[in-house]
Amino acid sequence: MTAYALPTPRLVSADVLKLRRNRSLAAVTAVLTVGAVAITVAIMELLHVANPAKHGPAGGVANLGHVAFLVAALGTAAAAIVGSRAGAGDKDAGVYRDLVVTGRSRVSLFLSRIPAGLAFLVPFVAAAYAVEAVSAVVFTGAKPAPDTRLLVLTGLWTVLEVAFFYLLSVAVAALLGSRSYAIGVVLAFRLAVTPIVASISALGIVRELMPGVALQALTPSALGDAARQGPAIPMSTAAVAAVLLAWAVAALALAGWRDVTRDA
Amino acid sequence: MGCMKTTSNHAIQSPYVVETAGLTKRFGERTVVRGVDLRVPRGSAFGYLGPNGAGKTTLIRMLLGLTPATAGSMKLLGHPVPAQRAQALARVGAIVEEPRFLGHLTGRENLTIVAAARGSEAASRIDPALEQVGLTARANDRVKTYSLGMKQRLGIARCLLADPQLLILDEPMNGLDPAGIQEFRGFVRRFVDEGRTIVLSSHLLDEIEKTCDHVAIVDGGTIVAQGSIADLRGDGHVVFVGVDDTDRARRLLAASPAVERVVDDGETLAVTVPDARVVPDLNRRLVEAGIAVDRLELQQASLEQRFLEITTRLENAA
Repeated sequence: MTAYALPTPRLVSADVLKLRRNRSLAAVTAVLTVGAVAITVAIMELLHVANPAKHGPAGGVANLGHVAFLVAALGTAAAAIVGSRAGAGDKDAGVYRDLVVTGRSRVSLFLSRIPAGLAFLVPFVAAAYAVEAVSAVVFTGAKPAPDTRLLVLTGLWTVLEVAFFYLLSVAVAALLGSRSYAIGVVLAFRLAVTPIVASISALGIVRELMPGVALQALTPSALGDAARQGPAIPMSTAAVAAVLLAWAVAALALAGWRDVTRDA
Repeated sequence: MGCMKTTSNHAIQSPYVVETAGLTKRFGERTVVRGVDLRVPRGSAFGYLGPNGAGKTTLIRMLLGLTPATAGSMKLLGHPVPAQRAQALARVGAIVEEPRFLGHLTGRENLTIVAAARGSEAASRIDPALEQVGLTARANDRVKTYSLGMKQRLGIARCLLADPQLLILDEPMNGLDPAGIQEFRGFVRRFVDEGRTIVLSSHLLDEIEKTCDHVAIVDGGTIVAQGSIADLRGDGHVVFVGVDDTDRARRLLAASPAVERVVDDGETLAVTVPDARVVPDLNRRLVEAGIAVDRLELQQASLEQRFLEITTRLENAA
């Protein structure tokens, strides 16, 4: 890959601009991340205040796990929307050819979308997690409060899950050349196919090849089952890293190749 | 905004900014561009004229590296494409089909995005480019509020970010009102005066004749004529002849050594003559042959007549 094929900071900034100035995209992303967490925590705490005997407080370790699962799941939906916009937005708008005729390499145009989309998406996820972490500590009541290490690990796990599915969404959108199909494919894969495959124990080790399963294996153990969907399938950290890396490299390589070889 | 003279020695030496040899594009069994040998002289306004479906846009897309050629070779500004695509396109601006933009961004932001894909100098050309096309006052408005004419002007501004030696404009007059067309023609002449070369594809013969000084006529994916407008038009005149027996009149006139060509559109004969002074003699011959003449109208030969002659000849040959 030549230096000209690498995305420049200016190119990445331009891609961030495209996303940041899209009001509806920003609104949907905010609702799916910060909004969802704030509403969930508010409802839980209001229920607790209204009837402390029946409803526990919104904070504590268990609720940290529940809300982390929520951020990861809805964050994945936001990642699918943002990733598909980043991956196929230029083609949908008909401006991709105008970027290609600048002479800039298509690899560079493709790669610049990855840091740009993360720069747009991660602050929303981080803000959502910040709301979650603060409420987990502040609204603890008589429950045990999460320690700093757990808060950091849970935060990193949440961001990793969302970032991975962002990468996958960019790749699928570039591969299909369609935003709407990409959103459908990624959400179906994450929310339907992965839990079904994970629950079929007869598949054995094959289940560990699913990125959703690998990501669940990274869930901080202190959260217990609170942040998990489906059965617990233990994996070593090296195995998780290998699965995620293989998926990311394969998806991005395939999408980059498709972007370079298709008619612009 | 100055137009730099050259980027390489080859570009200095070559009198042509676009050169293709045997350029061919096939989609499955269908050949859309068939062995095109095109040479666009430096510093000209070059029209690429042909009916819809003649392969004009496909040729442009190949030149710009948007789609690969099936066979043949091409050079832009002396650089072989696609081997040196980046160097070739660094000084090329293009509007392919209609100009498209991100509607949620302003005009200036749309240019910022393209400038980011070009070199670092491109960003400094945004304001001069907007000024040159008269969009400074609307530069901070979202593009979705722009009219088609404004989008065309913004498309030109986007081309100017490259400080282009070559501008390739695909059907740029489509959808423009008469004032917009007039304005666009002005842009083209100004850019040629600045030393740039314009390649303008169109199916509008009149527009090519008014705007360009060189032309290639394309039909069925093949170039059927190429040269300066004056050369293609020729020095001759066309006499439109209305008679009561077109078949006999056509045979009689075609046999005359003073006549170059006779085209019969079914009602009127278009007779090309090198010298207008033979017209009375032609009239006399028709009358003496017993053919009633009800119209005899002399005009300077136009590109349109030449175009019709060429395409008629091709149809007859087919």
